[in-house]
Amino acid sequence: MSKRYVMVHDENRCIGCQACSVACRSENGVPEGVTRLQVRVEGPFGDAPHLHFKYNRVSCQQCENAPCVTVCPTGAAYVGDDGLVSIKEDKCVGCMYCVAACPYKVRFINPETKAADKCNFCKDTRLARGELPACVTVCPTDALTFGDANDPSSEVAKLINTKATYQEKTHLGTKPRVYRIPTKRGGIQS
Amino acid sequence: MNNTWGDMAQYDPVTWNWVIAVYLFMAGLSAGSILIGIGLRWYSKEKAIESAILKAAAIISPLAITLGLACLVFDLTKPFEFWLILVNYNFSSVMSIGVLALLLYSPIGIAYSLIVLRDELTKRKLDFLVPVAEALMPMRKAIEVVLFVLAIGVGAYTGFLISAMNAYPLLNTAVLPALFLVSGLSAGAAANAIGALLMFNTHSHDTNLSKMHGLELPVMLSEIMFLFMLFCALYFKGGAAAAALASLTTGVWASVFWVGVVGIGFAIPLLTMLMPSQTRHSKGVMIAVACCSLTGVLALRHFVIYAGQSYIS
Ligand code: SF4
Ligand code: SF4
Ligand code: SF4
Repeated sequence: MSKRYVMVHDENRCIGCQACSVACRSENGVPEGVTRLQVRVEGPFGDAPHLHFKYNRVSCQQCENAPCVTVCPTGAAYVGDDGLVSIKEDKCVGCMYCVAACPYKVRFINPETKAADKCNFCKDTRLARGELPACVTVCPTDALTFGDANDPSSEVAKLINTKATYQEKTHLGTKPRVYRIPTKRGGIQS
Repeated sequence: MNNTWGDMAQYDPVTWNWVIAVYLFMAGLSAGSILIGIGLRWYSKEKAIESAILKAAAIISPLAITLGLACLVFDLTKPFEFWLILVNYNFSSVMSIGVLALLLYSPIGIAYSLIVLRDELTKRKLDFLVPVAEALMPMRKAIEVVLFVLAIGVGAYTGFLISAMNAYPLLNTAVLPALFLVSGLSAGAAANAIGALLMFNTHSHDTNLSKMHGLELPVMLSEIMFLFMLFCALYFKGGAAAAALASLTTGVWASVFWVGVVGIGFAIPLLTMLMPSQTRHSKGVMIAVACCSLTGVLALRHFVIYAGQSYIS
């Protein structure tokens, strides 16, 4: 069976420290001014003294049905054998159709390569070396879990099967592969 | 307060800007102008003489598509690698299909223009092109039909291009291609009128010109109908789609819509139809009205591009 890499972001554990963002930047050589990952601190929600924040991870959702791949005229945006949505820099003309079409607004034009860019689950860097993605490794609270959801013994499979999770904008039919565990103090009951 | 997560500039939902709006306008204008030119020729009995409208279309159509494509290429982040898009195709991408259509449409359009303008070529010291025009002459009928079909494709394709993005409720509707095609026709008719009146010194009571004039009202009414359908569809869909209706009431794009599209594009031309026929058919008024229609269509493309991307579901 083929792999199905997913990422789970536990919004209960996340503290919004941005360590993941910094690690991503250094691991993948992301230039100044653009970013593959942000963790936005939203809120506060609720009434004092029970205030809480929401930690919203904004990065490529690795859609199984990816609009960026469908619209790309040259095939520069593609789905690899490992199922990951990546970009062939040398095939990209920079038409920005994918940037416009991504419902999560996580694609950007890399100012150095002039090609579209985004999170690729560290496919070229850490994953290629058999390591976990940089953001996952560096997270001080273990809020991130990464792995093959098709392997029932994997940590991610267990998490998705036992915890209530949600994905963003599922109504668009993109089938995102970033799962989120909602904060218990939040409005969403788990 | 500074946020801890950094610069938000890259997350601006408006990715495609006015350059793309101008391209969409030019492509619609090119297609509309040649569709009207050929349509009127088929409809008229006198086929031996090239009408001033068709001659105007033969100049406007290739010029508009060339300028439009120039906008498109220079809007790429790698303009000098634009050929990549010509050698790699992805048939699930509307852009790829459009590139293929334009690849046929542009040269065939130029070939057809040479045929139509063959007498003008000698007058304007372009004699070296005359043999080419003569050689193309026997294929006129075939070229005309193929060009007509391709022009419908090009006119509608610009609508499909942006309606394919399902994240934007204002763009992701089935009427957009139809709306773009008819508004392209109205731009084409307006530009043809200006061309015929100014470049070929047509009389403002010319029969072909009046025939084209007769098309204006039905074209404009269908434009209004499609716009109405677009907003109704959003309203009944509810949720994020209905929220996009705010584009009609708030922000600068609402003004562009009401002043540019509705006021200048529809109201002024419709009101001039109430003028006495003598004034209405004077050269000055005809040119002014045509300019209003062109402005309206250009405003519509800008409204659709900017307002369309501002509301995301
Ligand atoms: S989140 Fe955006 S960039 Fe990532 S796969 Fe989905 S559509 Fe493509
Ligand atoms: S910007 Fe590059 S990757 Fe994106 S659609 Fe255009 S060619 Fe494809
Ligand atoms: S998986 Fe890799 S590329 Fe993606 S956000 Fe994490 S560190 Fe960045």
